[in-house]
Amino acid sequence: MIKTTSPKTRFTLFVVFGWILLILGDRVGDFKLYQGSFVATYALAITSIILLTGYSGQLSLGQSALMAVGAYAGALTIFNAGLHPIIGLFMATLVAGIFGLILGLIVARLSGPYLAGTTLALAISLPTLANQFPILGAEEGIVFDVGLPPARFGEDFSQYKWFFWISCLATLIMVWFVANLVSSKYGRTFRAMRDNPVAAQLSGINVGRLKVMAFAISSGVAGLSGGLLVMLISGVSPSAFPLSLSFSILTGAVITGLYSLNGVILGGLVLVAIPEIADSLVSRIGGSEGFITTLPGFLVSALLILAVVFTPNGPGHLIKRHHKK
Amino acid sequence: MIRNKSMKRASLTSAVIAAGAMVLTTLPAQAATPGVTANEIKLGISSPTSGSAGTAYGKIPGAMKAYFSYINANGGVNGRKITLISRDDRYFPVLAATQTTKLVLDDGVFALVGALGTATHTKAYKAAALAQENVPDLFVNTGFSGFGDTTKYPTTFTVLPSYAMEAKIMSKFIKENFAGQAVALIAQDDEFGIDGVNGFKAGALTIASTTLYPQSTLTDARAKNLLTGLGALPGKPVLVMMGTTDVTATILKAAESLDLVSKFTWIAGSVGGDANTLVGGFKVKASTINGMLAASFFPDAKDKKDEYVSQFMKINAKYNKGVSFDNVVLQGMNSAMLTVQALRAAGKNLTREGLISAIEAKGSKFAGAGLVPLNYSTSSRVGYNGYWFGQLNAAGELKPFGGKLSIFTTDSGSGAIQPSEFKRPTMPKNGIPTNS
Repeated sequence: MIKTTSPKTRFTLFVVFGWILLILGDRVGDFKLYQGSFVATYALAITSIILLTGYSGQLSLGQSALMAVGAYAGALTIFNAGLHPIIGLFMATLVAGIFGLILGLIVARLSGPYLAGTTLALAISLPTLANQFPILGAEEGIVFDVGLPPARFGEDFSQYKWFFWISCLATLIMVWFVANLVSSKYGRTFRAMRDNPVAAQLSGINVGRLKVMAFAISSGVAGLSGGLLVMLISGVSPSAFPLSLSFSILTGAVITGLYSLNGVILGGLVLVAIPEIADSLVSRIGGSEGFITTLPGFLVSALLILAVVFTPNGPGHLIKRHHKK
Repeated sequence: MIRNKSMKRASLTSAVIAAGAMVLTTLPAQAATPGVTANEIKLGISSPTSGSAGTAYGKIPGAMKAYFSYINANGGVNGRKITLISRDDRYFPVLAATQTTKLVLDDGVFALVGALGTATHTKAYKAAALAQENVPDLFVNTGFSGFGDTTKYPTTFTVLPSYAMEAKIMSKFIKENFAGQAVALIAQDDEFGIDGVNGFKAGALTIASTTLYPQSTLTDARAKNLLTGLGALPGKPVLVMMGTTDVTATILKAAESLDLVSKFTWIAGSVGGDANTLVGGFKVKASTINGMLAASFFPDAKDKKDEYVSQFMKINAKYNKGVSFDNVVLQGMNSAMLTVQALRAAGKNLTREGLISAIEAKGSKFAGAGLVPLNYSTSSRVGYNGYWFGQLNAAGELKPFGGKLSIFTTDSGSGAIQPSEFKRPTMPKNGIPTNS
């Protein structure tokens, strides 16, 4: 039997975590806040992978494309329609979710490497499609500006703290929603479908419908993280969503542990921290330009291999196992 | 009496407070200029040093560091040594934004120098709040004319002539030298290429075929497909490539494998026409580039008779060991030399505002390798403003087309294209600026 946290305890935990972040936000400098915003954004993108791959058993390599859909939808809402940034982020989630729903209907019959191949093709082609539509601003893209922080927060409230608040709040709300979802009966049916689709079908679960549903929700989550990502760079363009982004997020999800949401922050932290660690390593031990540029990739790859070998279910699982002993 | 005493005390207290406040507001302002101490000036650059863009332009930070090391070894700028912190953005906007923000907030640089790329730097500029923090953004390696908009980019100075200028001058060159030949254009589908397309329109050049490709999408297969189609154009069409060096290489290698090299008259834009990078970095055959036409505003990087080239070559050999000297290194060293002059012009009491004002006031007189004038003023943030056309030989040397160096200048709009009478300032003694 799977032990789950009660919704009330979960809500309290999220609120407490939110308070910790709020307090932390006042105690660190602007650059750390900016990095923290990226951690939150990547954690959300990893959540979308965990929901899709870890819980519903569908392997996607195209998460960056879904993030791009959300990012463009959000940018158009803010820049072209002139609506409030909050509505922009909501639209990022909604439009990416609808896109995922349509995509899910198309690819519902695919699984394993076929689904991975299809989503990979999507990741390669979709961002560049943006160049075909003038409204999307071609390669230069369009502005995604959430504006200055409200004046009531005071003059010392920086742009980076504003980014941190928005990205953390959006991530907390969305991860809380996904955590509730996977703890509900839908979570159980997702897991049943992942572990044995035929048995799930025989026990009355509509596997096709569930797959599409997981795809749509995961896309919505990815869309929101895409919106947050381009908020942090103040604009969206196709080159903001390279294929490598999909692989980085998948790597983060594997390191986090694909079957649990407990460590998504760790995944985001790893993606942001690795270049920093590489940087400080290089500055300590020295090295050529080539060494400097290849070290982050090497560290991520090494971490991925170590995670697969030693903690295939995530570090959280390892700690639990240690406690049982 | 008491009243007088208390008034005296109040006056004295006010005077002490006022004097204290003056001292406090003056001293910290000087001390608080980020990235500047009594013996160091910290500068930053975010540019691609890995990936395909890194292969093409990755030598720029190293070349700049080499020149700064040379200046540091010769006393620095007003007694301060220059430290350049280089961060790799791999030509990705997200990385450019984070790396530039890191340079400003975490590394605490005084100014940014030599950033590269249009799509990357537009994002980085906003993300790092360079306008709000008044961070000087010097000698950006892009020809995007939009960076000249001081309301959007109040602290930016670009160094390359705009792509629109290049296309206008190229239009004149093609019409005068290849009249009657069909012209095809392959350009990057962003501000880079679009600026170029607008320049060709302003230059009234008739283009038979225009292909715009999004950055990083011109694959070998697509290039072959494209060249096969363009091969149907009659005669020996002029094929203009307005893209980065990696794309120029992809197109040329596709032509090699299709045996279409001799079918076209090849013209590479200044951004994508460095022979050393094409042959050495991307393995294009030397025979392929032999005869290719290219635009430039610099002397040929292989011309050892040029005083700037020869001096920079010496510095490169000593401070940038193992790196071959080419147009990219020349560009990096030239930008570093402009930076040193800008810092000197800003004076000993270095401030960000002072540096920007100094370039506006004195930037057009800075010594540099460019064969065309520098255009900096209170109303212009675009650096060089003209081009000459040359023909590459198999050794990768760019020789003036037709044996005569013809330099033209123009603007990014509808202004006329004028033959240049610019006399380049002589190289400062030993390559060390002494301006003020």
